Amino acid sequence: MDLFLHLCIMIAIYIIFALSLNLEVGYTGLFNFGHVAFFGIGAYTSALLTLHRVPFELSLLLALAMAGLWGFLLSLPSLRLRGDYFGIATLGFGEIIRMVFQNEVWLTKGPMGLPGIPKPILFSYRFATLPQYLSLVLAFTLLTFLVLRVILRSPFGRVLKAIREDEIAAAALGKNVLRFRIKSFIIGSLFAGLAGTLWAHYTTFVSPGDFTLLETILVLLIVVLGGKGTEWGPVWGAIVLIFFQESLRFLRLPADWTRYLAPLQQMILGGLLILLMIFRPEGLIREKGKISNAGDKGDQ
Amino acid sequence: MIGSKGLCPQNLIFCLKMSFLFQSILNGVLAGCIYALFAMGLTLIYGVLGFVNFAHGELIMWGAYFLYLLMEKPIGLPLPSALAFALLLTALMGTGVDRFVFRPLRHANSLTLLIAALGLSFLLRNGAQFFWGAEIRTYGFEIKRGFRFLDISITLNQMMIIFATIISISFVYLLFHRSRLGKSMRALSDNLELARVVGIDSKRTIRFAWIIASILAGAGGILLALDTNLQPGMGLINLVKAFAATLLGGVGNLWGALWGGILIGLAENLGVLVISPGYKDAIAFGIMVLMLLIRPSVLFHKQE
Repeated sequence: MDLFLHLCIMIAIYIIFALSLNLEVGYTGLFNFGHVAFFGIGAYTSALLTLHRVPFELSLLLALAMAGLWGFLLSLPSLRLRGDYFGIATLGFGEIIRMVFQNEVWLTKGPMGLPGIPKPILFSYRFATLPQYLSLVLAFTLLTFLVLRVILRSPFGRVLKAIREDEIAAAALGKNVLRFRIKSFIIGSLFAGLAGTLWAHYTTFVSPGDFTLLETILVLLIVVLGGKGTEWGPVWGAIVLIFFQESLRFLRLPADWTRYLAPLQQMILGGLLILLMIFRPEGLIREKGKISNAGDKGDQ
Repeated sequence: MIGSKGLCPQNLIFCLKMSFLFQSILNGVLAGCIYALFAMGLTLIYGVLGFVNFAHGELIMWGAYFLYLLMEKPIGLPLPSALAFALLLTALMGTGVDRFVFRPLRHANSLTLLIAALGLSFLLRNGAQFFWGAEIRTYGFEIKRGFRFLDISITLNQMMIIFATIISISFVYLLFHRSRLGKSMRALSDNLELARVVGIDSKRTIRFAWIIASILAGAGGILLALDTNLQPGMGLINLVKAFAATLLGGVGNLWGALWGGILIGLAENLGVLVISPGYKDAIAFGIMVLMLLIRPSVLFHKQE
């Protein structure tokens, strides 16, 4: 039962993480390959603040603000770029943030990580046990889902899609493409920070090794497997993939096997991503109203 | 530095600082030569196929591991033949990657292509980790004392790096400016449609571009591993450096990539005199961001 609850919590956290990436990759067409950075910023910010006895409500807000702020700062130079350059810039940013976690020992304790992150107390109610935590995470997941749904169904969301489909046409209609992209990136980073915060307070331990390319690949795979640019795609993707990812723990395999199994599992994720791109780039759920790929000839 | 042998009797501190500086410059050029090899491969594929190969770092890493595989116990080839086979295997890997991943996606949109490349990079990286584990390895050559020249030390390996870079670059130069194949590659990167119209076999040319890019990546990876060490994560961070070098030199510009690489190497090795060495790998990224801020126009010159 505990394992099942654990699985549900992880899935819910990754749904938030994937929904935030879906806003960028799926709806706005931004190739963000360093999304884990904002997850990590959220996790570390909230962990550090609560360890210094800042109340959870405040540290959660500050963690979101921090993730959003860094999203804004990164987007200023890099969002002017063509898609694939933006991809490299974000990929590099993800690595740099990890380096900061690792090197700023005075703040983050470096590779030792931060243990003993307190369980959240919201309005003097403590979410300590698994069912309690699950209810908290589910509430936030629902909130994320609804907020992003409202945003994406609003005129703002339609402009994002228009930019994805044809940047020049959107600009010709008087939309400030850069500004819309920056806003989308900030919102995405903010919710990634939320996912990171919830994750940090769930595991109660963060270290630089938790925020590697693996997380980026996993969340990207969730989005494209489920169906990028759809409301429910990331939800289904997270359920399928996190179940796959976490199922190794249920099997209780001998320790010396994991030396081979962990890379093998990750090879499967990489291979899956390639196969998906070749045979079904639209994912499990196809985006409604999108007839063909004629709209995105790529930006070459 | 102990053996200054009275070269600078008056101002020892100044002299030490100067030799330290020269040593850093030398190390920077050495590292830069390697980055140049990476960047040239990256920019070559970019020129011919029009996308940034995210798996280029993994070709670098596999090149180094292929040499390790061939020289270690069960096979145990001597260095020269192991080197040749390692480069051959890297070239095979590069063409294989193109055949099975990128060719089916030739007409896909760029997001699809990039996600596939990222997945490929992850697959290859964990492939290496599966066989060799995540630990840091070295080729196990005995460490030789470097030669000393005016208080700057240079090892045999490092001289080999310079030598190999010069050979690779002259090879690339001859290929691109003297051979038919190189000319068709340049034509293809200038204008794909026009190149087809004049009868250039684009499939063959693309295959050769992959072979050359892989060999450059493999050679660079081997040299890097000779100078430092091997680990599965070496690909990704060097991809960022290669990309920064490419940006500095102008995307799609082969000779620009050479200078860009050397500049990145210098900036890294001189940079750590000022900032914490833990951030050495972040310097290339910083340069990249700076380039994007001050010269965004370099990014767009290529396709016009």
